[in-house]
Amino acid sequence: MSISSPRYTAPSVDRLGRASRTLAVLRHELLSRAGLGTLLVVALAYIAVTLIVVFDADFASAAGQLSVSTYEAPFQSPLWALVILIVATAAGAGSVAEDRGSRSIVLYLSRPIHLSDYLSAKAGSIGSWILIAAVGPGLVAVGILAALGVGSATVNLSAAAGFVATGVLAALFFTGLALALSSLTDRALYAGVAMFGLVLSLDIGVGVVSGITGNSTVLYASPVTDLTSVAEAAFHVAGPYPTDPVSSAVLLAVVGGLLAVAAYWQLSQVEVVGE
Amino acid sequence: MVADLFRTEAVTKRFGPVEALTNLSVDLGAGTIGLVGPNGSGKTTLIRLLLGLVQPTTGRLSVLGHDPQTEPLRVREQVGYMPEHDCLIPGMSGVGFVAYMGTVSGLPRETAISRAHDVLEFVGLAEQRYRKIREYSVGMRQRIKLAQAIVHDPPLCFLDEPTSGLDPKGREEMLGLLAALSKTGGRSFVISTHLLPDTEGLVDQVLLLSAGKLLAAGPVERLLSTRSAETVVRVKGDSAAFVAALISKGLEVRPIGSDLHVVLPAGDTRPVFQAASDTQTQVRYLGRSVNTIEELFLSLVEAPLQGAGA
Repeated sequence: MSISSPRYTAPSVDRLGRASRTLAVLRHELLSRAGLGTLLVVALAYIAVTLIVVFDADFASAAGQLSVSTYEAPFQSPLWALVILIVATAAGAGSVAEDRGSRSIVLYLSRPIHLSDYLSAKAGSIGSWILIAAVGPGLVAVGILAALGVGSATVNLSAAAGFVATGVLAALFFTGLALALSSLTDRALYAGVAMFGLVLSLDIGVGVVSGITGNSTVLYASPVTDLTSVAEAAFHVAGPYPTDPVSSAVLLAVVGGLLAVAAYWQLSQVEVVGE
Repeated sequence: MVADLFRTEAVTKRFGPVEALTNLSVDLGAGTIGLVGPNGSGKTTLIRLLLGLVQPTTGRLSVLGHDPQTEPLRVREQVGYMPEHDCLIPGMSGVGFVAYMGTVSGLPRETAISRAHDVLEFVGLAEQRYRKIREYSVGMRQRIKLAQAIVHDPPLCFLDEPTSGLDPKGREEMLGLLAALSKTGGRSFVISTHLLPDTEGLVDQVLLLSAGKLLAAGPVERLLSTRSAETVVRVKGDSAAFVAALISKGLEVRPIGSDLHVVLPAGDTRPVFQAASDTQTQVRYLGRSVNTIEELFLSLVEAPLQGAGA
């Protein structure tokens, strides 16, 4: 037997492109956020929304009063916004903050991906989780009702579109918010507390201010109120709405986008990460 | 082998009021390069500039023929990076982490997993590969940092303080790994360290930095042979007077520790004994300077007192 020094050799392999590298980060992020707490909240959302929508629609159908607005029932409860906020926080608060805290962000950025790829992957993961929680339950409920033969195809398709529209806007806004706050700190806890604090204080604060001053314009400052207006309009609920749904939808999308850009800008300014 | 590894042209990098690198111009070819200097000398900044993680204030850089400013992905596709600080994802298993880093570098998933196992075996973490990284010791963390840097088999690796925080045994083992890697053809390594003995016998080129300024760069043999023209003198008695006497004879003198490094024209030692006689000092040792990289660094940091030959 001969003894020789160890050598490390590896056959050359064709590398995958930038999109595949970004997807690798997205996949990892998506799976790593599938903690017990997140899965529990998402499961509860599915159970609650499905039961509410299916029973409401069934009763309305029996009474001959079924319309698209019947499907809006889950959005009448503040718990809907709370569930989305919890999922967004669980999926997003630590997305960048944990990488900053562990300084693994340096490893990501020393790999052949751009900062925009890194943030896109993080955003994709957060957005996917929010869509799973915000759109999925509604679509499942609509699917069950369609399978049971409750409601016409038009009503069910309109309701599905309502769930998608509201869920996509929620995903846009909360993804941007999570990225922006997570990129500001290296502690996921701080980002999570900031997300809850900001959304809840805005919702409560603008309600109080609006009640005292009688000025409904301030309601636009609450993302929960904006989402409620959009949901009511998407499900053809008779007005008046708390805010103009189109303006609220534009506001949520634009602010979400701007917050994501702010996250990019913030991280691009951090030249010496981890020093 | 890549002929032109990296090149910097008049690169200066400032962080606010702090100038981390000053007018650095070097051109180094393939091989194992020691990036040597004390803490704060600009080693990590230079590596980050070469990776395109930070931008130079002025000047230009090229790595493997690509500009890290304008083509950062082309550069990073071909390099591996082992940072000095802890940068691991604590909740992942060793093999999961290394494979993940391989996929982010563009390896297909199955290949990345296979390579991760291979490379963890190579760095000596085969037994611990399924343990969570948060349970790893300092030595194991250094090894897995090395593993993630080489998992995608890059032609160039930047290793920032690879022996940092290791005990003597761990240091020896890490240096052994680096020696084994450097012997494998087709790869180049830039090994940054403030521990100069770590580079002895390991690197074939060296880049010496101090306070952000270039002291010397090039093949170790050439740099050492240039400096070995010096003669080491140790005296007993009034050393200051002896130095003054040598300087008055037009000789270049560099005090390094208790030694005096003297450049003697044509190796003529008579001025040394003459100076000793003049100052009533005893010459206790006189011999050719056998330079190590550490001695070379110290000789360059210590400014010459004076000398006609300088």
